[in-house]
Amino acid sequence: MNALFVICGIGVFSLLAEVFNWKKWVTLISFIGICVAIGVLLLDWRSVSYYYHGMLFFDRFAMAFTGLILVISVFWYWMSVDFFKGVAHRTDKSALVFFVIAGAIMMVSFNNMAVLFLGIEILSISLYVLAGSDKENLFSTEASFKYFLMGSFATGFLLFGITLVYGATGSFNIVSIADVISSSKDLPRFVYIGVLLIMVGLAFKISAVPFHLWAPDVYQGAPTPITALMSTVVKIGAFAAFVKIFSVSFIRFSFSLLLFEQGLMVLTLVIANVTAVFQSNLKRMLAYSSVAQVGYLLLAFSSDNAHSSGTIFYYLTAYALASILAFTVVQIIENAKGSANISHFQGLLKGSPLMAIAMTIAMLSLAGIPPLAGFFGKYLVFTLSVSKGFVGLTAVAVITSLIGVYYYFKPIVVMCQSEGQPISISNSQKALLIILIFLNLLIGIFPDLIRIV
Amino acid sequence: MTLYAFYFLSFVAIFSALLVVFSKNPVYSVLYLIITFFAIAGHYILLNAQFLAVVHVIVYAGAIMVLFLYVIMLLNLNEESEPHKNTMVKIAAVFSSGLLLLVLIGSLRGASQLVHKTGGEIGLVQNLGQVLFGEFLFPFEVASILLLAAMVGVVMVGKDEEKNAND
Repeated sequence: MNALFVICGIGVFSLLAEVFNWKKWVTLISFIGICVAIGVLLLDWRSVSYYYHGMLFFDRFAMAFTGLILVISVFWYWMSVDFFKGVAHRTDKSALVFFVIAGAIMMVSFNNMAVLFLGIEILSISLYVLAGSDKENLFSTEASFKYFLMGSFATGFLLFGITLVYGATGSFNIVSIADVISSSKDLPRFVYIGVLLIMVGLAFKISAVPFHLWAPDVYQGAPTPITALMSTVVKIGAFAAFVKIFSVSFIRFSFSLLLFEQGLMVLTLVIANVTAVFQSNLKRMLAYSSVAQVGYLLLAFSSDNAHSSGTIFYYLTAYALASILAFTVVQIIENAKGSANISHFQGLLKGSPLMAIAMTIAMLSLAGIPPLAGFFGKYLVFTLSVSKGFVGLTAVAVITSLIGVYYYFKPIVVMCQSEGQPISISNSQKALLIILIFLNLLIGIFPDLIRIV
Repeated sequence: MTLYAFYFLSFVAIFSALLVVFSKNPVYSVLYLIITFFAIAGHYILLNAQFLAVVHVIVYAGAIMVLFLYVIMLLNLNEESEPHKNTMVKIAAVFSSGLLLLVLIGSLRGASQLVHKTGGEIGLVQNLGQVLFGEFLFPFEVASILLLAAMVGVVMVGKDEEKNAND
């Protein structure tokens, strides 16, 4: 709860820093601020309660996901220090990033549709601007505009859905909605349309196929740090919101919604994994890979709506840590060579072995090779779905993850080829890479460390 | 009396909405859209939701329509420049939006089952204020962050980079 205020406070501080000329302090204060927010969250850990007339609900679920968002934000900030250095509007960018984080925290802790909507909008509007923050680059502007159009469309669906559900149940509170739905005998028909529209709106945000069309262009066009933010913090927030709303409010419809969730899942797995094979730009490939990961998360969620949050938390942690690691390397390569084409990774192993190892670890983790975190994520998802009897769907997921292994190995193979020029990296980047490699291994070898939800 | 007002307003709203779609000149479309908005504001007053009616007129008929007119003016849209659309696309669009209409009508036939909230006074400004500053205080305050983010975004997109680049 207080962590949310700390994050909002840093956002406002960043804006004031422009006025009072404290610009050189912004990065330091932001960094300390996120750490303070994590500390405050740990202090609140035992006090599970509602806040503000049941608008927010911080239970284990919300606090675990808030913690994940904040920890990933620390690494994100570390990785993208250069993004804030020496360029125009650095305080504005910093403030918008903190508003994104605040929006994501609201999306994991909401207990009311109004807060969900505001969280999504705060997150999205900040991201539309951040995606276009590289104004010299035409692709960045295109990404921003595309994201804006698609995002506002999705918001329209979500709002329409919320309105119809309100009409049927008379409440915005997600627990009261569940009460009304489970107690009333004949629900009006439009509540089903409302639930489906909410699902469509959120599917846009988590970029599940067929609502993923914006993702590749936006991920490729946006500045690399913002792409990293979108594929970690934003994805965690959006998927947690999806899980929360369908496992609390609409749990009674879980059987009827199963077909839709499974449809989304199969389409996502097959289309995203197959398309990713043909990409030559690593950012675009990672975009398709992040769409594909949603498929595995949906498999876990659709297998067991009520009790899958632990598995989803583990999977998202593993995915986010591996993604941040991959994007750190991609950013360094992109700064050195101008673009993130896979061919630019040639000879990285000879040139700068640390980066090559980091990239290999990230790719292996995303592909799901033991003993890395990604393997246990997939393992937990598959055991959950098999134990609920979805053997056929699990087989589809296993086959698509084998396709995944092919495209994740492409950059690894390229890195091992021929001689390459060494790329110099700063000590702070080295430290970040080493810590992230260590964390990826640690969570993979000791998965019980974070099974807290 | 209320019933006649309802029918009259509905007729005006639907008729002018159709004219928005069918008129060739975009400026006429915008003007008909304003009439539609006023008719809908009339509906809100019939429903005893004064606040909503006033906000609807101020925000939609005021702010949003000015925005529309600006865009039309800047892009210099008129009858000749309207791009010719493929017949297949037109048929597909009509078909899919017709399906959506069918689904909505089919589901809203149960609208009599709408949950009845307390009394008819809920739309008055006083009651709205009490809800806004009582139960919905948190979303009300958090909306300020949303507006702040939007303002910062506008400044970032709109402001010249050169002036800021050397610090």
